Amino acid sequence: MTLKNWFKSGSPWVWLNAGAIAISMIMVVGLLALIMVRGFSHFWPSPILMTDLTTHDGREMRIVGELSRSQVLPAQVLRDAGVPIDDDIQLVTRHLIKQGNRDVWGRDFVWYPELGMTQWTYPRDAMRLERREWGDFYGFPVRILEQGRTVAEGDQLWPELQQRIRRANDIFDEIRRIERREIGNVNHRMERVRLSERRLDLQLREGRITVAERDQAMADLAAQRLVLDQEYAVLQARLDALYKDVRRDTLVAQVMDGREWEIPMAQIIRAIQPNDMNVLSKTGLYLKQFWEFMSGYPREANTEGGIFPAIFGTVTMVFIMSIIVTPFGVLAAIYLREYARQGPLLRVIRISVYNLAGVPSIVFGVFGLGFFVYFMGGAIDRNFYPEALPSPTFGTPGLMWASFTLALLTLPVVIVATEEGLSRIPSTIRHGSLALGATKAETLWKVVVPLATPAMMTGLILAIARAAGEVAPLMLVGVVKLAPTLPIDGNFPFIHLERKIMHLGFHIFDVGFQSPNVEAAQPLVYATALTLVVLIVVLNLTAISIRNHLREKYRGESD
Amino acid sequence: MDKNKLGGHYLEKYNEELETLRNRVLAMGGLVEAQVTDAVNALVSADVRLADQVIKNDARVNSLEVIIDEQCAEILARHQPAASDLRFIISIVKTITDLERIGDQAEKVARMAVHLAEKDRPKNQYADIQSLGERVARLVHEALDAFARMDVEVALSVAREDANVDREYESVMRQHITYMMEDPRTITRALDVIWALRALERIGDHARNMCEYVIYLVKGKDVRHVSLEEMERAARGETPGAE
Amino acid sequence: MDGMTTMTEQNTMTHGVTAGLFENTERKRLRLADETIALEVQDLNLYYGEAQALKRISMKVAAKRVTAFIGPSGCGKSTLLRCFNRMNDLVDACRIEGKILLEGEDIYDRKVDVAELRRRVGMVFQKPNPFPKSIYENVAYGLRLQGVRDRKVLDEVVERSLRGAALWDEVKDRLHQNAFGLSGGQQQRLVIARSIAIEPEVILLDEPASALDPISTAKIEELIYELKEDYTILIVTHNMQQAARVSDYTAYMYLGEMIEYGDTMTLFTNPRKKATEDYITGRYG
Repeated sequence: MTLKNWFKSGSPWVWLNAGAIAISMIMVVGLLALIMVRGFSHFWPSPILMTDLTTHDGREMRIVGELSRSQVLPAQVLRDAGVPIDDDIQLVTRHLIKQGNRDVWGRDFVWYPELGMTQWTYPRDAMRLERREWGDFYGFPVRILEQGRTVAEGDQLWPELQQRIRRANDIFDEIRRIERREIGNVNHRMERVRLSERRLDLQLREGRITVAERDQAMADLAAQRLVLDQEYAVLQARLDALYKDVRRDTLVAQVMDGREWEIPMAQIIRAIQPNDMNVLSKTGLYLKQFWEFMSGYPREANTEGGIFPAIFGTVTMVFIMSIIVTPFGVLAAIYLREYARQGPLLRVIRISVYNLAGVPSIVFGVFGLGFFVYFMGGAIDRNFYPEALPSPTFGTPGLMWASFTLALLTLPVVIVATEEGLSRIPSTIRHGSLALGATKAETLWKVVVPLATPAMMTGLILAIARAAGEVAPLMLVGVVKLAPTLPIDGNFPFIHLERKIMHLGFHIFDVGFQSPNVEAAQPLVYATALTLVVLIVVLNLTAISIRNHLREKYRGESD
Repeated sequence: MDKNKLGGHYLEKYNEELETLRNRVLAMGGLVEAQVTDAVNALVSADVRLADQVIKNDARVNSLEVIIDEQCAEILARHQPAASDLRFIISIVKTITDLERIGDQAEKVARMAVHLAEKDRPKNQYADIQSLGERVARLVHEALDAFARMDVEVALSVAREDANVDREYESVMRQHITYMMEDPRTITRALDVIWALRALERIGDHARNMCEYVIYLVKGKDVRHVSLEEMERAARGETPGAE
Repeated sequence: MDGMTTMTEQNTMTHGVTAGLFENTERKRLRLADETIALEVQDLNLYYGEAQALKRISMKVAAKRVTAFIGPSGCGKSTLLRCFNRMNDLVDACRIEGKILLEGEDIYDRKVDVAELRRRVGMVFQKPNPFPKSIYENVAYGLRLQGVRDRKVLDEVVERSLRGAALWDEVKDRLHQNAFGLSGGQQQRLVIARSIAIEPEVILLDEPASALDPISTAKIEELIYELKEDYTILIVTHNMQQAARVSDYTAYMYLGEMIEYGDTMTLFTNPRKKATEDYITGRYG
């Protein structure tokens, strides 16, 4: 076949198309694979190595820790840095060892050259402690102290340690529960009492109540406050007791240079000896750690612990955004398509709406901050929460404003999709309804809109996909690095739209780039990114399945 | 409705089929007309060979009828003709029935010619039969002409002429009855002659029928079983599809 | 004797039957003058913007008869049909002069409630257009619009309408399934059931069988025969044979004008106008 015929046959185009598809697939699959490998491997317990190193200046040291990663460098680089290396060596290998023990060494990730290392060994009793503070601890357990007295050593130590850690964790959970839930509840009520008092003062100043009335109400409030104070005191006493209890035990462990180190049992979350574990127990641990990552609260400037508040915040925000954007977008689209007079003005409006989709999202953030937070939020505070001023309630970035901003951002998508859906409803169906004596509104609501719901869902799917991944505008209107409370909890009114939230996208940015401990945070960035991707996929799949269900229901004319 | 009106359909094949149909009817008509003339001639000139020829030819007339019938059925099924086309097909279906009957009557005359050839010839040498036969043959010719040209006036003239033929037939009949009474020996021959005369009279009636179909075809009016005056009124009335 | 009597009786009977057979075929054609008039169009002109789509249409439509409109595409027959239930109101640039009287009242009068008019003048479209609802809800739609909530009434009307549209036996076991599951012909009959559920006086059929196969078409035509017992039916069709089959009166339209209007029998065997003749015989004028 000649080249000309080959071109005529059209196969070059097939190849071109197939190539484009292949490249796209490779990029998508590659991206997902990278995130998944890095994200998932983080939770697999890696072995603890031990080696002795003689440095170039003759110092001897023992290294205990996990291999983070290795690098091969040209020897010259190290020579330039003043490390004497034999001339016949061209390349040197160096290892990044996670030696933990930030409280001992000050830094937990250290590069060590392979030159001068002895054979790596994996001692069975090497231990990794997951701690509430200072990151992980690596070392060898020595003995357990109870009130300063040795209670376990040698063979009994490990089971005893696990048991005592469990006890300490139980107590700690209780403490956490009391602090979060009960004291939080008391504080919440106290705040309301304080606000009530302020409101009374304000009302008195405005002359809406008399002094007598105020005093009467004040007395009630004072009584309430007394009760709350008492409740608080009781809780505080229980807390004190628990704190004392939790501090009972201490673990003494040997770090890599031979020193012994005391670790309060209350600080330990988990103790493992990975070199002594089989695949099964490693898998169990893997799943446990993964679950903790998904369901736990972040620690240590977000570099440890879980991302639950971020997941929760993202989902809540997307939901509220959907609730806002759907009716607005659908109504706007219905007006544009069904009621507005088609003309140049409408065309201008439509083009403006469509172009909103192209505005950089940070601009929406600025608008949200200026309009929603300061203008609307400020007005709401002045009119409904005067007693809380000058500290703002809605006049500060928060969940509601973040949702509003995202709703605004995704509105064009919903409008365009809905309009498209409405325009695809065959006119014969409308006419059928009109011919039966239905008015335009009846036709619209009973026939046309139900038929257009799959298109609306498509719009919503696109909106969700965009909203869940958006970060830039959210930093201005309600997403923070660390939110002390979830936006939904057991305290009235249960959904706290004014609260600031955490967000997966921002969490990735924060952990990845704003973290004091980049090496420790890196796996978390991948894990979080994976979570975000999965979350968006799940939200989309949900919406898509709803849409397909609707499509099935209205199959036939509409598609 | 003129001859050209058969054409003009968007479907050229339809035009061709209708034209073929018309030509076949005319061909059948031509054959039948020749049969009539030949039969009369055979009788008058006692030409047995010619008479045999006529008898044989009747089979051709019959098969033509079948062929044309089939083609009409095909056009009805394929094209579902309406209005003038529908009337065209209907009148053809009827016309060929009459043509076939004319053919039968011609055959009958031919058979009589065979019989009579063996017998003595009368004094007038069958001049009466020759005269009636010629008139009837002309009627058939004109009826076919009216059909071919879709000419209502010719059709009407045929109808009028048929009345004259009937009158002549009656007078000739009376004459022959008189002969029979005068000379009973001629009865066998006279009966044959009367048969032949009767057949010729029937041919005239069939020709008239054909003209009625022409009027139905052109005017869309049914003029069967009505008086000549009514027929004329109907035929001269408004023509459908003329506005 | 007995035998004789029987013979005579049989003879009489045969004679009677024969007489009955030929009674209706006497050369008696339908005449508008003998009919009750359901609709009357008076000097109707319709414009789309500058273009005039209907020109000086005047006609009387016989009650409880089928009146067919035939003509080439764009001749205005569908436009005229849509005038009877004011569907043309939906077209922005459409302007109408003249009157259409329904039982003596002008439907283009300003006082007329269009929704009410459309309840009295139902319409079935070319393509079956059931709503994305169950079969039951499709039929009940018109009644629900009128505020009927009583389940018993609805059940009754749905059954009666579906029977009226000769669909009941086919769908009675799946009334609550989606109407899109029906075949095209069934959908069209469902749409007809939907229109007769609100008991209109007039039913407009806009090429109701053009999207259907011959069997479904035949069923629709059979249905039209039955429906004309109770309703005045106007039908637009491209299919001349169909018009010839189902209608009592036929109007031939061309370029917005009504060229010929009369009883179907005459129009199809012996039309008065050459233009009609040319159209129905398939000739170019």
